[in-house]
Amino acid sequence: MSNIAVCADSLGKKYPLKKGHRELRDALVSASLRMFAPTSAIPMAGTAPKREHWALRHASFEIRRGEVVALLGPNGVGKTTLLRILARITEPTEGCAEIRGRVAPLLEVGAGFHAQLTGTENIYVHGAILGMKKAEIRRKFDEIVAFAGAGVKTFLGVPIKRWSRGMCVRLAFAVAAHVDADVLLVDELLDVTDAEFRQQCLQRIAHSAVREGRTVIFVSHDLAYARQLCTRELQFAGGQIVKDSASAAISTREAALR
Amino acid sequence: MISQTEVLENSAPTFLIRPSSGQLSLGLSESWKSIDLLGVFLRRDIKVRYKQTVLGLGWAVLQPLLSVAALTLVFGRVARVPTGGAPYPLFVLCGLAPWQVFARGITRSSNALVENQYLLTSAYVPRLMLPLAAVLGAFVDFGIEFLLLIALMLGYHIWPTPVAVLTIVPFLLLALAVSVGVGLFLSALNVHYRDVNYAVPFFMQLLFFVTPVAYPGNLIPARLRWISQLNPMASVVEGFRGALLHNQRPAMPGLLYSLLGTLGFVLAALIYFRRVERTFADVI
Repeated sequence: MSNIAVCADSLGKKYPLKKGHRELRDALVSASLRMFAPTSAIPMAGTAPKREHWALRHASFEIRRGEVVALLGPNGVGKTTLLRILARITEPTEGCAEIRGRVAPLLEVGAGFHAQLTGTENIYVHGAILGMKKAEIRRKFDEIVAFAGAGVKTFLGVPIKRWSRGMCVRLAFAVAAHVDADVLLVDELLDVTDAEFRQQCLQRIAHSAVREGRTVIFVSHDLAYARQLCTRELQFAGGQIVKDSASAAISTREAALR
Repeated sequence: MISQTEVLENSAPTFLIRPSSGQLSLGLSESWKSIDLLGVFLRRDIKVRYKQTVLGLGWAVLQPLLSVAALTLVFGRVARVPTGGAPYPLFVLCGLAPWQVFARGITRSSNALVENQYLLTSAYVPRLMLPLAAVLGAFVDFGIEFLLLIALMLGYHIWPTPVAVLTIVPFLLLALAVSVGVGLFLSALNVHYRDVNYAVPFFMQLLFFVTPVAYPGNLIPARLRWISQLNPMASVVEGFRGALLHNQRPAMPGLLYSLLGTLGFVLAALIYFRRVERTFADVI
């Protein structure tokens, strides 16, 4: 039996830089320009701005079960694009990937969180969107709330539009962490939560990776935090993975010993 | 197209992710697996709808009542539209209830994807469920209007026979199919062209006057009849009224053809939806 959880083969994603669709107005304007302007006035191909952008290209890797992988690099180098492809939100333009097991994505503050709904109601909607059955959510409800913290518990009956962003992330992460998933994808959201909660998430991730063989792929701009957690680093630059290195995760090893 | 194959060896599903090829699958089996999401979205929509309102569910009762009052004043009292003997308020509510299920279903479902763009870009959900839940939500409102209709009938001492109530079922199915087809198509189109947002309420208003809701269909001059024959909602409204007020049976081959034609349209809308679905997250 193979031990690979995620395998990617030269994944690439191209986005058009010009607007994806033309409005009627634009179409009319450009048509009339072409009619009246002398041909020389139209910019030549050489001076035209780039029309497309490869947000991600040539991404190949194999991630084993139980690995905790940090995606590192500045903004706009393809980290989130990779997560989105793996979460099946968007299709790759080229290449392919294979994921074994259930995927729980946490890319934005609570997919399907509705501002008008209360914390409790949102737990059920968010959980269902991440693939949990209602009975499963009900069973884990107290655990989820306990994980999110005492502050969240107080406001469970309040619409989340009155919550702070940090509180929303806490709740969103708590739900995602309790999905019975094999692969957890986390975007840089944890960076907005406080130190105590991040420490708690770190333990949870490390524990589930070591004990349950859960694979975690996450983005963080906090290098010290990421290094505490990950067993492997993928360094991104210009839409490509430029460095793939193992790292000695302090807490993952701690969790293994515990 | 993203495909999913069950691998039995470790009982975990394996997802294969790659650029979609030309082949087209309707992906109905995958949608069926997450059918409970339909209920989740439906309940969420209902919960959200009357949040932060004073009247709450009262709006669902007040809206049809006020519409009936206004239409009765204009078409019943001022224009004195012939109703074939039925009291005008009853006559118009009989048409308004099925019309509204269609109008609400289309208006809400055409918006369903754009409204949930945050969800589309942050998690994988079977997108089909969003417009479908919006259409079904309109049927919940219909339930309330139907109860009002029954109450009004009893008020006029007209007893709805069980046969009459059963007769409206195929017409409701027709309204459902039309709403699903148009809703799927418009919701997907709206992702690319927000013009849909502006066009839909406007065209619904026009269509309201073209459909014999506030007046009987036989008032339409014969040379313009073909317009209402092309309008499936015209036959729904007329069928509804015929069944409840005059105990008429549906004109059978005609209704069957309408249903079949509409199912063909739903299929075409579904194919279009699947075709453009793969770029939703990039374009929206």
